Amino acid sequence: MRRSARPSPSLRRADPILVWVALIIALSRSVWAPAANLAVTVRLPDGQPLADAVVTIQSVGKKFAPAAPIHAVMDQLHRMFVPEVLVIPVGSSVSFPNSDSVSHQIYSFSPAKRFELPLYHGKPYPPVLFDHVGVVILGCNIHDWMIGYIDVTDAPFYGTTDSRGTWTAEVPAGHYEITVWHPRMREQTPALVRELSIDASDQATLTLELTKALRPEPMEGGPPSWDSY
Amino acid sequence: MGKASHLLALGAAILLATAGARAASWELDLDLRAVTSDAQASVLDGGYGPVRFDEHQSGLQLGRLRFALDAPLGQVWQLHVDASAWGNAYRNPVGLTEAYLQFRPYPRHDLRLRVKTGAFYAPISLENRAGGWASPYTLSYSALNSWIAEELRTLGVEATVDWLGTRRGLPFDLDVVGGVFGWNEVAGAALADGGFILDDRQTPVFDRVGKLEGASGAYLEPFREIDGRAGYYGGMDLNFPGRILLTALHYDNRADPRAADTAARVFAWHTDFNSAGARVEYGPDWTLIAQWLAGDTEVAPGGASLEWPFDARYVLLSRRFGSHHRLSARYDRFEVDSRNTQARGDESGRAWTVAYVFDSGRSWTATLEWLRVTGRSYAQSEYLGRSGPLTDTQLQLAFRYTLGSAGY
Repeated sequence: MRRSARPSPSLRRADPILVWVALIIALSRSVWAPAANLAVTVRLPDGQPLADAVVTIQSVGKKFAPAAPIHAVMDQLHRMFVPEVLVIPVGSSVSFPNSDSVSHQIYSFSPAKRFELPLYHGKPYPPVLFDHVGVVILGCNIHDWMIGYIDVTDAPFYGTTDSRGTWTAEVPAGHYEITVWHPRMREQTPALVRELSIDASDQATLTLELTKALRPEPMEGGPPSWDSY
Repeated sequence: MGKASHLLALGAAILLATAGARAASWELDLDLRAVTSDAQASVLDGGYGPVRFDEHQSGLQLGRLRFALDAPLGQVWQLHVDASAWGNAYRNPVGLTEAYLQFRPYPRHDLRLRVKTGAFYAPISLENRAGGWASPYTLSYSALNSWIAEELRTLGVEATVDWLGTRRGLPFDLDVVGGVFGWNEVAGAALADGGFILDDRQTPVFDRVGKLEGASGAYLEPFREIDGRAGYYGGMDLNFPGRILLTALHYDNRADPRAADTAARVFAWHTDFNSAGARVEYGPDWTLIAQWLAGDTEVAPGGASLEWPFDARYVLLSRRFGSHHRLSARYDRFEVDSRNTQARGDESGRAWTVAYVFDSGRSWTATLEWLRVTGRSYAQSEYLGRSGPLTDTQLQLAFRYTLGSAGY
């Protein structure tokens, strides 16, 4: 589950399991705009957009500092983490309010951040600091099926796709490595790393289509008391 | 047995008193039934019929009155108490179907430990997944799980270790479970005497199944310790959460079939079985469950062994329509053999169950269930003089109202 923030040489080969649907770099130059608008769209094999996919962009060559730390919120509502997937720059902090009427007991044993929040309602704890890069998988010790993901990144540009499967950013001209990740993807993470040159252009669009369907979502159909044993 | 039952109740009361009311959650359910049935009386009423309500019980009946409480005790202990009244009481009007303490430490290095101690169900059923060990699919449980509700309970300790592949990016968890128990050495007697039934009455711990007609006229009391030997079970689950659950378990109460409680005139019944099951959920709406259980129960009064091999299996298919409607159908097969010269206890049968559940999404649900059982048994032909296969049909409309705090 842990993935490296650095590229490995094998990633530069064309990957047969990934279909590049489109890579259009429009070269309408603009003297006044050294930054490009980059739009990354992620689609499922059936063409449907994939929301909540994490997109991170690392510069190849020229070094950028990691994005500035933020303060983020991962709520607990209807016995689920909301959002289920969060991406934050390294050094960021996250609050875990509990908006349910029942208690939760949040933990992680992921190497990037081990912590426990004893049983609580509401918002009794200060935010948790995430100061190591990696994916942190969260669980609730009361509701064993609850699972949430925090991707702590040192990338200068990051985000998650919206309901149309798209994430956009303003990126300076340069050579980049773009990584797409979703916790239920079947593709190995390296297969979803692509290099892209944005060279004095102002519009770049990248569309990735997964070749394998996502792993199924955990069931949400049953009442919360099902399988309480 | 009475003492043990009182101790259990006392222990539960003390724990309740110390449990923080703030974090506890509780539930009160009332389940009323309108019943029409052409069935013969079941073991619950001293007969050999295969369903809960017989032809004399058509009309309004109490399905179940239930109170359940979950209370955290500190950070990693949790108390669960489940008490029910079923309308047909043999010892106490209200009894505990389950009462246990659970130890739930934080998972470490992708291993999750859970330890239960008290009285609870062994992890066999794949359909009894709602609160109070009820089935969200049908009113009557399968023959297999009705037998478990009738005669089996772990009075002891159970430990589960889950290897959390899902916390490592894999799609499955692997669970290993083991239990050690006592006070369940008359389990199997109801199968040998009356055979399988399909119902939803769960015998409260240290209570009675029902009254036997025929041979002895005695009450069946499965929760007795006779020879002082602990029983055990061990099993494994492969769990793709919310999708596929595969489960296997071996169970042995290790009772000495020659042992007897002479004062109570009860023999120890050695009961062991293997069980396996699969539950597949396809999307949010479809559920398919298949379970199989096969084993043997033996008693040897005076050293002369009498054995009854048994097996039961079922397939259940359920579909949810929107958030309010659910339709389920189940097909059961069950069989008890007799290795005795008399063939006493022989039976074989099959059953169809069709149920529609309307979930209001608020405090109440309504369920309509049609159940038809066809079978033949030694008891029916010998004691009731009815030879050939018999068909019993029961139609129930249940209205269930739930009060409670937010729940689990």
